[in-house]
Order: sequence, then C-alpha cells, then structure tokens
Amino acid sequence: MTPDETAGEVASSEPGRVVAVYDVNGGSTGRDSAELPMESLVSATQWTPWPGMQAEYRSILEMAGRPVSLVEIGAALQIPVGVARVLVSDLAGAGYVAVHEPEPTGDDGRPRAAVLERLLEGLRAR
Amino acid sequence: MRADRKTYIPLKIVIAGGFGVGKTTMVQALSEIPPLVTEEALTTASVGLDDVSAVPGKTTTTVAMDFGRISMDDLVLYLFGTPGQDRFWFMWDELARGAVGAVVLVDLRRVDDCFPAIDYFESRALPFVVAVNRFPGADAFPDDEVRDALALRTDTPIVRVDARSSTSCTTALIALVEHALARSGGDSHASTGTFATPLS
Repeated sequence: MTPDETAGEVASSEPGRVVAVYDVNGGSTGRDSAELPMESLVSATQWTPWPGMQAEYRSILEMAGRPVSLVEIGAALQIPVGVARVLVSDLAGAGYVAVHEPEPTGDDGRPRAAVLERLLEGLRAR
Repeated sequence: MRADRKTYIPLKIVIAGGFGVGKTTMVQALSEIPPLVTEEALTTASVGLDDVSAVPGKTTTTVAMDFGRISMDDLVLYLFGTPGQDRFWFMWDELARGAVGAVVLVDLRRVDDCFPAIDYFESRALPFVVAVNRFPGADAFPDDEVRDALALRTDTPIVRVDARSSTSCTTALIALVEHALARSGGDSHASTGTFATPLS
C-alpha cells in the first residue's frame, strides 16, 4: 500500500469490501485503515487520554485493556466496523494502541501451517 | 494498568448454512463472550451488488452478522455466522478472506439450504467441513448417503454435531483445522518452507 492511496480509492477499487469512506480528522495515520481486516486486534499501549479526548476514543481505550477486535469494538459502540477502523487508526497514529493484524498468509491465502498447528493444539486442549 | 506489548494473532472461522439451521446456536455454544451482533451498513461500494436504489426512499441498508470469540493464549479465534440472505455475498467475501476455513451446518430435512454455502466455499477453494446438526432423524442417514446427497468431494470431512453443545461444536472446529492443515500440506508432511520462519 503506498501512502498516496487513500482509503476512498481503495474502497472504490475493491467493490467486495464494506468500507465507509470517512474524513479522518486529526491523528491521521500512515496505515491504510480500509485495509485492516475486521478481526484485527487492538490492545492499549498508553492509558492517559489526551485532553478533551472524545467519548468513542475513551471507550475503545478502555475496551483495549485486553486485545479486542475491530468487529467487537463496532458491536460494543454500535458503529459499523468501517467507522471503528478509522477511530482505531487515529488512536494507533497517536500512539495509544497497538494493532495486531492477521499473520501473512501462505500462497493459498490461508493461515500458515505453523499457526494452524498451534490453533489445533489450543482447540484440543479445550 | 501496564502497557501490553505482547503480540496477538487473530484468526477466523466462518459458520455457514441455511436459515434456522443453528448457526447462531453454534456460535453461542463456542463463544467465551456473549455473542455479539454487528450491523454493517451497505455503502456505495456494494450498491452494484445490492441495489438499494430499487427501494424508493431508501439509500442505505444494513446486514446483521453474529460472531463469537475463543482465546487461546496469543491466538484469538473469531467465529462468524454468515448473513443468511444470498444477496449478501459481498459480506461472505470479507469473511472468507484469510479465514482458516468454514463449517457448513446442515439440516438433513432441508439439504437444499446448504448448497449455496458449499458451492461458494468450493469455488473459492476455502477448506470446509460439513457438520450435520442432530435434528430428530438425522442419524438415519450414514455419511456416504450424506456425501452423495450433497455431492461432496471425497476428502470433505463430515461430522455430526449438536449445535447446542460446546464440546460437540469444538469437535467440528478440530475436524476443520485438521482438514485445513492437510490441504495446506502441513501436518504429517510439513514442507520445508513452512517452518522456515520461527513464529515468535
């Protein structure tokens, strides 16, 4: 993803994706939020809100005390995942949260065998 | 609170099948959190696929999707129930992208309902297992009859589940991950490239 590809351009070039095109006000990041899969995890790295931090950002920060996905944030705040993407990108840009994207996949577009092996272990231990 | 510098790996599995087959029940049985529902707005990007302009006075519509979570140390697995309506295929594309695979829940009294899901996953080469939900009478049909009725490939696993039981549903997930591993060339024949990069 090159820096000059805006979220809007990406959205229009991929008709299959559900992304809302929003203006990102302040704290805009280098990360292209439209590309973040909805299962991407968010964890807080800093806890003191900036002065006047809006309620949505504060809520996300509180939720991210343990890793929480974009889709959970969307459901909790009753906002579409597309909006959660943008808010999380703002927080990441400001250094408040770390975003854990899915691992790079193999050639077949699926998680790599090493990750699947560990998932299998985890499920069998349940 | 301490800053969390740990690395986490999100994963996802799609739970598909016809309306009323037990997808939501299965997500509920497996999830460690109360299952949540997300409402996604259809945007201009999807208007071509779901022409809201055909509905007078309506400019947007939403798709509801339920999901749950299973955390295993640094791995966090999400389970997504597919939106029931076929016209929301674009949502399936987002769900299927990078997924471990899918569980197709089947009610043998209404097998036709699962064909769109099976066709979809076969066409995208997404690993899937067929999970026959134990409705009354479901056990009367052996696996080979189910395989014939659903025109399944010989290597597609068939499992029997009680969608209300966490243990039973976990068995279906295990069958899926084993199948996905076999498909990826992992498991018993791990290729040399697979473990070339240490995980952590």
